[in-house]
Amino acid sequence: MRVRDFLRRDLSCLEKDTPLRQAIRFLEDSGLSSLPVVDEEGKVVGVISERDIIRALLPSYVDMLHSTSFLPSLDQLKKKLEEIGNHPVERYMTREVVAVQPEDTDLYAADLMLRKGLKQLPVVDREGRLVGVVRRIDLLSRL
Amino acid sequence: MILTVTPNPALDKFYWLDHLPENLAPSEEGITIRAEKSLTSAGGKGINVSVFLASHGIETVAMGFLGGHTGQIILRDLLAKGVSANFVWIEGENRTNVALIVRGHEYHPIHIHEAGPPIPQEAQAMFLRKYERMLSRASFVVLAGVLPPGLSPDFYWDLAKRAREKGVRVIVHAGGEPLLRTFPARPFLVKPDVRETLQLGELPLRTEKEVIAAGRKAIESGAELCLISHQLTGDILVSADGVWKLEAKVPLSTFRNLVGADDALVGGILVGLVQGMDLLESVRYGMGAAVASAEVEEKFCLDKERILAEMQRVEVRRAE
Repeated sequence: MRVRDFLRRDLSCLEKDTPLRQAIRFLEDSGLSSLPVVDEEGKVVGVISERDIIRALLPSYVDMLHSTSFLPSLDQLKKKLEEIGNHPVERYMTREVVAVQPEDTDLYAADLMLRKGLKQLPVVDREGRLVGVVRRIDLLSRL
Repeated sequence: MILTVTPNPALDKFYWLDHLPENLAPSEEGITIRAEKSLTSAGGKGINVSVFLASHGIETVAMGFLGGHTGQIILRDLLAKGVSANFVWIEGENRTNVALIVRGHEYHPIHIHEAGPPIPQEAQAMFLRKYERMLSRASFVVLAGVLPPGLSPDFYWDLAKRAREKGVRVIVHAGGEPLLRTFPARPFLVKPDVRETLQLGELPLRTEKEVIAAGRKAIESGAELCLISHQLTGDILVSADGVWKLEAKVPLSTFRNLVGADDALVGGILVGLVQGMDLLESVRYGMGAAVASAEVEEKFCLDKERILAEMQRVEVRRAE
């Protein structure tokens, strides 16, 4: 089966200059765990995920300690969000775009998700413009 | 790709009733109406056009504003029907539009329409950026339906102007002031919504003569084509080259659900044009789609053979 046969034709995306706080609201509304970030021509130039945002909100020492157990409360994250909530998503997005095309096979998409540990993949056309998204559940529900 | 804009999407809820209570006066017990059958689907004029196009395998992207649980249901329904969705999410809840269809009186449904959530400035700006991006992929754009609170009556004019600047043909499928204001942007086709008032601006649309006069006025004001429904089974097409009367020869008693029939008409015209039919054949196909859709309980008839059969019953003649 090809990706075009089961992709979710949801073009929900963010622009590079979308404020981080707005991105959180969009992620909540869209029900997706990450959203593609597009440039002026609609080409996917990055992906912002819940994980990227949490990472941006955590103090830098957490990365060194590889643990969040030292955090006394979530207040620190809230404070950080107040500080960086208006920053553009471009600053925090993952720039390596792992995407599939409509002509790719379901096996290729599944393999890519497993190897990269991703919950979903943007689907782009030959020009790199967003045409949809494939989630793990889209593959699982077709088994 | 055909882009549709529905600024005020809705969840359409249909109830079929055996009969309405004869007396609706307030009583101590209240009034309970039991529906024999119900049906729910994503709605709003542009969304309906997209659903019809997707059913014909034509690539289409629906745009507009979604909010709340109703917005989630609308999105889910659209994606399930093969429509690409590119909406801006807003605070609030999309509207639910109710149609009560009484057996034996299917051509006179009772509608309850909500106003829809207000659209904040921030969401409008976001929408315009998305719209500009999508225009570069589109061959047609359909601007459709009533505007929700918060949008200027110039909203469609602005969108039509931007589309025209990019060489994208515009169809305006709306009513009232927002439609009239698009004329200077020279839309390819205007399809006035006359469900609530038989008027185009100040011009009445009761008789055939009045419809033709109003259509000519629309052409003089900038529209390339104007298609106005006249009575339930007729349409009048006006262009700078002439006037055509189209009549579907079907008895009203065959109708089961009229909601969405005019959207099937616009969708059908687009299917015809995309598939290379000439203008009049495309309008005939659209009318075939509208009649076939009115004859089924679901919003649209997706059986192409049946649409083609209804198309054959549509007569066209040039008016004086």
